[in-house]
Amino acid sequence: MRWVETEEIVRFNEVDEWGMAWYGHYMAWFEAGRLCLLSQFDLRPCQMVELGYIAPVINLKCDYKQSARCGQHIIIRTTVIKPEITALIFNFEILLKEDRVLLAKGETTQVLLTCDRKMIYRLKGELAKRIATLIDFCKKEETVP
Amino acid sequence: MDKIINDITALDKYLKKMIVETLRLDDINPQEIDSTKPLFKDGLGLDSIDALELVVAIEKNFNVIIEDEDVGKKAFASIKALSLFIQETFQNKQ
Repeated sequence: MRWVETEEIVRFNEVDEWGMAWYGHYMAWFEAGRLCLLSQFDLRPCQMVELGYIAPVINLKCDYKQSARCGQHIIIRTTVIKPEITALIFNFEILLKEDRVLLAKGETTQVLLTCDRKMIYRLKGELAKRIATLIDFCKKEETVP
Repeated sequence: MDKIINDITALDKYLKKMIVETLRLDDINPQEIDSTKPLFKDGLGLDSIDALELVVAIEKNFNVIIEDEDVGKKAFASIKALSLFIQETFQNKQ
């Protein structure tokens, strides 16, 4: 499985009173990872809208392993898995950049709707083509640099 | 499978079992599902992700495709509606 990596820094406004990254902020990091991956396949939200679709998240999971602290550099790893149903399922890992210790892992599921809010049960046309390219890319073995 | 599709009672029974198994509705006895009640909301209480799973199961079992929510609304109106939809689509392909 191939992952794309995005780097972020834990900012002062993202930590709680205990100096740890606030649990809800991990979703914003997932979003940064998602955008980084989708951008490579012309599937950013605005590009999906141009094709006539939106993709709302209907399920979210997050396992917290260790806390990130203010000023630390983190790596968000993102990939897509091929679901049997017509949906987009992203997997995420958040690592500490310094020693690549796993801080959290998560998953989101998005369904696909037309812009007039009708759910689609089968992908077709340009959207199907772009999503297939994305899935093929993520399915490939990761090459060690 | 052709035999089941052409027999509406057998198809009705098959679909109820398929729905319970596909959606892992462990607390529901397939025989107790009312064939005339809606599958979503007020009836069996299924949601949109259940619809996506059912679409895959129907395609695998009957090679019948449900493209989108518009077609789904008609097909998933009830077990009875779903049986008729599968029969019609299947016969049109013959």
